[in-house]
Amino acid sequence: MTRNDAALDAVTLEILFNALRSVTDETFIALMRSAYSTNIKERRDHSTAICDRDGRLIVQAESSLPIHLASMIGMMAALRAKFPMQEIAEGDIFVANDPHAAGGTHLPDINMAMPVFAEGRIVAFMCNIAHHADVGGMAPGSMAGGMSEIYQEGIRIPVVRLFRRGELQRDILNLLLLNVRLPEERRGDYYAQISACRLGARRLLEIAGQYGAAVVERGFQDMIARTERRMRDAVAAIPDGVYRFADVMDDDGLGAIDIPIRLAVEVAGDRIRFDFTGTAPQVRGNVNVTLNATKASVCYSLKALLDPEVANNQGVLDVCEIVTERGSLLDCVAPSPVAARANTCQRIVDVVIGALKDALPDAAVGAANGANTTAVFAGRDPTTGRDYLYLETLGGGFGGRNDRDGKDGVQVHITNTSNLPVEAIEMEYPLRVVRYGLIEDSGGAGEFRGGLGLRRVIEPVAHDCVFNGAGERFRNAPWGIFGGGPGGMGRFLHVTGQGERTLDIKPSGIAVKAGEQIVVETPGAGGYGPPERRDAAALEEDRRSGKFSEEALRELYPSPLAGEDWGGG
Amino acid sequence: MVWFIGVDVGGTFTDFYAFDDEGAGRERVHKTLSTPDNPARAILGGLDALCRAEAIEPAKIGRLGHGTTVATNALIQRRGAKVALVTTAGFRDLLEIGRQTRPRMYDLKADYPPPLVPRERRFEIRERIGPRGEVVEPLNADAVDGAVAQVRASGAEACAVCLLFGFLDPAHERRIGAALRAALPGLHLSLSSDVRPEFREFERFSTTVQNAYLQPALSRYMRDLAEGLAERAPKALIGINQSSGGLMSVARAGDYPIRTALSGPAAGAVGAVHIGKLAGRPDVITLDMGGTSADVCLIRDHRAGINNEQEVAGFPVRLPMVDINTIGAGGGSIAWFDRDGLLKVGPESAGAEPGPACYGRGGERPTVSDANLVLGRLSPRGLLGGAMALDAAAARRAIAPVAVRLGFTLERTAHGILGIVAANMVRAIRAVSVERGHDPRRFSLLAMGGAGPLHAADVARALGMKEIVVPPAPGILCAQGLVVSDLKEDFVTSGRYPVAAEARAPVMAAIEGLAREARGWAAESAGDAIGHSIELSFDMRYVGQNFELRVALGESKDAAHVPAIPDAAALRRLFFAAHERSYGFHNPDDAVEIVNIRLTAHGRLRQPGATAQEAAPASAPDPVETRPVWFAADAATAAPVFDRRALHPGHVLEGPAVIDQLDATTIVFPGDRARVDGYGNLLLELAP
Repeated sequence: MTRNDAALDAVTLEILFNALRSVTDETFIALMRSAYSTNIKERRDHSTAICDRDGRLIVQAESSLPIHLASMIGMMAALRAKFPMQEIAEGDIFVANDPHAAGGTHLPDINMAMPVFAEGRIVAFMCNIAHHADVGGMAPGSMAGGMSEIYQEGIRIPVVRLFRRGELQRDILNLLLLNVRLPEERRGDYYAQISACRLGARRLLEIAGQYGAAVVERGFQDMIARTERRMRDAVAAIPDGVYRFADVMDDDGLGAIDIPIRLAVEVAGDRIRFDFTGTAPQVRGNVNVTLNATKASVCYSLKALLDPEVANNQGVLDVCEIVTERGSLLDCVAPSPVAARANTCQRIVDVVIGALKDALPDAAVGAANGANTTAVFAGRDPTTGRDYLYLETLGGGFGGRNDRDGKDGVQVHITNTSNLPVEAIEMEYPLRVVRYGLIEDSGGAGEFRGGLGLRRVIEPVAHDCVFNGAGERFRNAPWGIFGGGPGGMGRFLHVTGQGERTLDIKPSGIAVKAGEQIVVETPGAGGYGPPERRDAAALEEDRRSGKFSEEALRELYPSPLAGEDWGGG
Repeated sequence: MVWFIGVDVGGTFTDFYAFDDEGAGRERVHKTLSTPDNPARAILGGLDALCRAEAIEPAKIGRLGHGTTVATNALIQRRGAKVALVTTAGFRDLLEIGRQTRPRMYDLKADYPPPLVPRERRFEIRERIGPRGEVVEPLNADAVDGAVAQVRASGAEACAVCLLFGFLDPAHERRIGAALRAALPGLHLSLSSDVRPEFREFERFSTTVQNAYLQPALSRYMRDLAEGLAERAPKALIGINQSSGGLMSVARAGDYPIRTALSGPAAGAVGAVHIGKLAGRPDVITLDMGGTSADVCLIRDHRAGINNEQEVAGFPVRLPMVDINTIGAGGGSIAWFDRDGLLKVGPESAGAEPGPACYGRGGERPTVSDANLVLGRLSPRGLLGGAMALDAAAARRAIAPVAVRLGFTLERTAHGILGIVAANMVRAIRAVSVERGHDPRRFSLLAMGGAGPLHAADVARALGMKEIVVPPAPGILCAQGLVVSDLKEDFVTSGRYPVAAEARAPVMAAIEGLAREARGWAAESAGDAIGHSIELSFDMRYVGQNFELRVALGESKDAAHVPAIPDAAALRRLFFAAHERSYGFHNPDDAVEIVNIRLTAHGRLRQPGATAQEAAPASAPDPVETRPVWFAADAATAAPVFDRRALHPGHVLEGPAVIDQLDATTIVFPGDRARVDGYGNLLLELAP
């Protein structure tokens, strides 16, 4: 590899990176447009990126998801371990999804990587990742709980060549498609990813042609170095010390409850180490997390706390040193199931923020709803006779902040997917949304209160259906910080003629008859700062808006004269 | 003599463009300071001044087209009315929850703006309409009375009525509206089924609430304007520009002010289409660069792209609007070092006060204008023909610290600043072209705004574009666009219609409903328009998908007829072709449905005649001076400077050259060549 020893100047590098960002943004949109899965088209559950020949992340599309960063790096590491560079040819495209064997985070995320050759050598890989609507396994959608092995969750793909020197390996594609539901749709998703790889490679070649491969390679190196420096400078501003925090996951859906996550953050100069030793061993249910996903969650947290604007590249990853115990909840090994890892990733974020709150009081926030509350309704449409499956993840409260309340009813941290409009649900499925709103009194008290959770009430119209769900923070409330109080917990209710019944935290196979209702309540969030410091006008606003009842206000905000110390957090 | 006048009200200036339709096509331009507290004052005052100065007889004004940023600014500054909302029981928080997303993934402090109606003024009413328009729970009189009492007690000036599935059956919304109107005569009212009868409740509610929020102020403004103009120019037809680029009446603008949210920029797009027609360029991308921002817009086949899903001030507006991408890149954009040491330009701007350092009004930070001055691209003698001198020493002082940190010469630093601002605009153009499947190399770049022609060559070259068009008056293209706009009205209805022979009857019935409305509208505007036409399009999708593609079904030549509807098989083929175009594939076996039926009625207005001027002898005029210009970072070239007023049709200039005019400066790079066409446009041909 030719080395250009002079670092690029701050102008050339800025313009080069502008061009590279255009490549990832263009491929991001191209992939979204040509994909078939609703996940990709509507919820934008996909990402595109450029990695260098060493598999280091260089630039990610603006709208990429934090957790996808991990799979890309993971896949590149697996690819490089398995395929010597000299065996990789122009026109090859690699595909992978397995969390245990190929650096993935859960099976529905299909990863692709294509080498880009310029001046006779590999200068980069165009990578993308997309959440397919189904990858086989026991349950439609490949995301259901209740399974204890990854084999039940869908097809496992190690890193394999889908294209060899520009030739589609039909045998491989046929094998992949035979293992999924609706293979024709998934074929569309695969093709969308393939064309995004090729489009990106073409664009990258144009840039390499303009600047020369050596300048582009030098630019990659400089960009990572500058980002790492920028992150390290921010880390250096954190007072040295060891910061600890612990929290628990509610359950794994298969009997394990209150599963601990423990963290000690050690800050020394410009180094920061996240030691998760003492975290629970991996569990039977699907809330396990591979090391890469843990890494992605830590990187998200640190970037959000220190520098939301910093470029997302290897420089951020390199700053986060992570220690885990192999076989633990946050570094699980085969054959543990991992489909619902997002719930645990949300908890990792809460724990990192909790640990660093005293070091970074202005950036820290109260615990958010900490979940990916999922509600799935399935049945047969009585008018069309066709089966339907309606899946939605609901937001909840966002934690109180140092200068403002937490947002009510919103997706938090590593999740930012949109809801489905009520009118779209009712036009599409034989379901009625009876109400959809904020849960009064569910925000943790504080100088800046936590956000409110969401309540959605759904009933099947003129037929019986089946409900499955997955909740978190249904038995361990989202905590407040610096004296802020906890937010409300979530729950699932089944309302029948006989009354209402609280369901499990991760209920499955609940038969819901016509006219009965399922109530989904998501958690609120923790507050920031002692409630007695809450501004009178803010309290008046809580009262006037009806977001808090008189009784709740009296209970949460005792008269300031009482001057009680709140503790907690 | 009949004068057509365009008035574009911006945040700082109100621009006038007057065209004498029967008097040999005389053009007049006038500028006055805006009066944000009551924009009508600047318009009426400016019009009086224009008429006095140019000896225009107000009675001879035939038409006045008006573009306004009043609605946009009211939304951005949250200075609208006190609004109440009446909505279906169980859903009063919907407006606040929105799509449950955050605007920026990694920013723990960033939220979408709070709703324009606080929770205590959002009132629920028991009623329910189902997904097929059926009444699930009837609306009873007590509930209506209760809502009226709540709205009355809230002291609201305006009220939005937004019910679930109100777009399928507006009866409940109308009953509530009628009761409110009867009980509270001064109350402004917006029904979601009137403002935008389209499915997806949050976007419809949001659009309706914004409309209500703007109604009191905008209808006052419209009334003042109409009265003032009626006194002065009784024969003038007054048209208010809509965000989709077409005029509507003053009364309609007062009822539906949200339709003016992008009124000003849309006028620029209409002006650009007009210039494209004159120059014979059907496909252009506009680069409208001013002091703080740059707007780019893609025009294909003489039509500006329309987007139904835009945001204004952080709120979704679900209405047809010209598809404009705005970024923070302007003459006042500030150059700064990010925390990783990379040089950035914008989005922060020095604005008009203090302005760039070279304005000499106390600005000290380095801006794009300072870089242009250091490189000799802007004249040291200043802007506006010398009326506003520029301070070259101040510009150099501002750029010096950046140069020291980079270890560059001043000129190389200035060159770098321009390179970065161009790269930002390139990215914005890629977003409206490449990312939507259009190859920018097939388009001409239309440079407008005060700074567009200065930067167009850098931008065009980076995108591989071969030609730049600079209109005769790049700074007032918006006002000019208002003179050439036609009347326009959009109609829409939502439903779910399978594409199948048996669904033809309901589709036809829905179209007939829209056509009736369109004919009514055409009859109202019959006195002004010289002809009507109707465009029909369907939003179609695969059953089970939740995004739609617009399929155009043609245009009729009068208001009495609707374009013919193809049969189901042909409709499917049209949808497949659209899917193929947008997404690169289609699935011939899947079921297809129609979810929105859209009808756009155009009322053609008499347009100012424009005739190409005779070409002058091809020799170029003499330059007014020669000045050193840094086209590249390392050395200056002596470039002849021409006065735009001395350039006439047929003139050809070889670069390097600089063309100065009152409101803009055009740079012709070495090797490029500029030609003046019969309408005074500069056509810059870029060297390969």
